[in-house]
Amino acid sequence: MRIQLRHVSKTFPPRQRALADINLEISKGELVFICGASGAGKSTLLKLLFREIDPSEGEILIDGHDVTRLRSRGVTRLRRKMGLVFQEFRFLPALNVLDNVALAAQVLGASKKQSRVKAHQLLRELGLKDRYDAKPFMLSGGEQQRVAIARALINEPALLIADEPTGNIDDDLADDIMQLFVKIRDRGATVVIATHHRALIQRYGARVIKLERGFITDASSDNVSMPEYTW
Amino acid sequence: MKLSFIGLVFRQVRSSLRHLCWSHMLTSLTMALTLFVFGAFMMLQANLEQLLMAWGDQIHLTAYLARALEATELEGLLKRVETLPEVERVRYTSQVQAWNDFQSALGAQSGLLEGLPHDVLPASIEITIKRGQRDSSTLEQVAQRLRGEKAIASVEYPQQWVERLGLTVLAIAWGKWIVGGVFFLATFFIVGSTVKLALYARRREVEIMQLVGASETLIQAPFVIEGMLQGMVGAALALAALWGGYALLREQIEGFAGALWSVGHVRFLDLEGAVFLVATGWILGAIGSLVSLRRIVKTWRSSEVAV
Repeated sequence: MRIQLRHVSKTFPPRQRALADINLEISKGELVFICGASGAGKSTLLKLLFREIDPSEGEILIDGHDVTRLRSRGVTRLRRKMGLVFQEFRFLPALNVLDNVALAAQVLGASKKQSRVKAHQLLRELGLKDRYDAKPFMLSGGEQQRVAIARALINEPALLIADEPTGNIDDDLADDIMQLFVKIRDRGATVVIATHHRALIQRYGARVIKLERGFITDASSDNVSMPEYTW
Repeated sequence: MKLSFIGLVFRQVRSSLRHLCWSHMLTSLTMALTLFVFGAFMMLQANLEQLLMAWGDQIHLTAYLARALEATELEGLLKRVETLPEVERVRYTSQVQAWNDFQSALGAQSGLLEGLPHDVLPASIEITIKRGQRDSSTLEQVAQRLRGEKAIASVEYPQQWVERLGLTVLAIAWGKWIVGGVFFLATFFIVGSTVKLALYARRREVEIMQLVGASETLIQAPFVIEGMLQGMVGAALALAALWGGYALLREQIEGFAGALWSVGHVRFLDLEGAVFLVATGWILGAIGSLVSLRRIVKTWRSSEVAV
C-alpha cells in the first residue's frame, strides 16, 4: 500500500498540537521506522493512518484514496487490509491467547478451524506454543507483545502498522520479530514501525522518519548513515 | 451474513453471558420492572374494558306493546325485530309474565297489588343490541324503527346512561393509547439507558472489534441478540411477578371492586396480552441495544484524547 500525507496537522482539544504540517510519502513494499522522543507524535501519526483519529487538517491518501473521507464501512474495509500492533496491546480479556489471535481472521470470514490453525502456527513461530490457553492478563509484557504481533500478521496484511513492537522484548527476540516484519515486507507489504529501539534501526536497512514535537525533522535518512538521534 | 460469522456471533453471545452474567441479570431485572408496570397497565385496561362490556350487556331497549297480539302477529313482529342488523337477541315478556315478575320483585310488599287486574302491565319486548354498536345514535335509530311498528306503543332505553357509557368507552380507548404510548416510551428509554450502561463496560471490546476490521453488523449482532434475550427474560420475569401479584390480590380486588361496581372476576392477561408483553420486551431489548450502541459508538469516535 502506498501512503501519502499532505499538510497533515493534528491538534487535540483544547489546543494541544500533536502533529504540524506533515508531508510524507511511503512507497508500496517499503519498511519505514518512525522515531522520536515520547510525545513527538509517533502514535498520533500511526493512529491517523488507520483512522482511529481524524486529522485536524490535511489529506491522508492510502493507495490514492483519502482515508479522512471514508465512511465507517470504508474504514472497516481499509482496516481489513492492515495489521495493527498497538502499544497497549488491546486484547479481549475474556478470550484466551489463541482465540484473541484467531478472532482477527474470523472477523474477515475465516472459519473457526482455519483461523485457529493459522493462529497456532504464528504463535509457535513467535515462541508462544505453551501459552495458547492463557488469558492475556496472565502473560508478561513481552509475551503480550508477541500475541499482538501474531494477531496483526494473521491476515497477511498489505500494510503493517506497529507501535513500539519491540518495546518489552529482549534483543534476540526483537531481532526475530524484525525478521518476521522483513519477510512481510519482502512479500510486498508496506511496514511502518514506530520505535525507540535505536539498535534495531541501525541493524535494518530502512528509511527513518524522525519526529520532534509534531514536526518531521528528517524523512529521508537511511540507517546506514543514521545520525545520533537524541531521543 | 456468512455461516462462520453466525458461529462467531453466538460464541461471543455465549462468552458475554458467561462473563458478564451479573450485568445481564441487572439489565433483565430493570427491564422486568419496567415491563411489570407496563403489564399491570395492560391488565388494568383489559379489566376496565371487561367491566364496560359487562355494563354494556345490561343495556336494553324495551318496546311496550299497544295491545295483546295474536300468536301469528306476535311471531311476525318478533321476527322483524330480530332481523334488524343491530339486534343481537330479543326476549318477549307477556302481560302475565310481566305481572309475575313485578310481583316477585315486590317480594313481601306484593300485597299492594291485590285488587288490581292481572293485565294492567303491558306485554313487552326486550331488545339487546350487538356489542360495539351500543352507542346512543344506534340505539336511537333502532328505537325510531320500532316506533314505526303499529303494535308498539312506546320504546324506552336509558339514554343518559348510554351516553355516559359511550364517553367512558371512548376515554378508556384514548387513555389506552396515550398512557400505553407513554409507558412504552418510558420503557424504551429506561431499557436504552440500562443497555447503555452495560455497553460502557464493554467499550474496549467494541473498539477492538472495530480495529481488527469487524463489520458494523458483526459488532452489533451479539449486542442485539443479548438485548433480545434480556428483553425476553425481563418480560418472563414481569409476567411471573404479575401472576404472583394477581394470585395474591385477586380476592381482595374482586371483593372491593365487586362491592362498588358489581364486577364478577378480575382477569389475568389473556394469551394475546402475554405474548404482546414478551414481544415488547424482545423488541425493546433489540432496539434499545441497537440504538444505544450506535449512539455511544458515535460518542466514542468524537471524544478523541491526545496520545
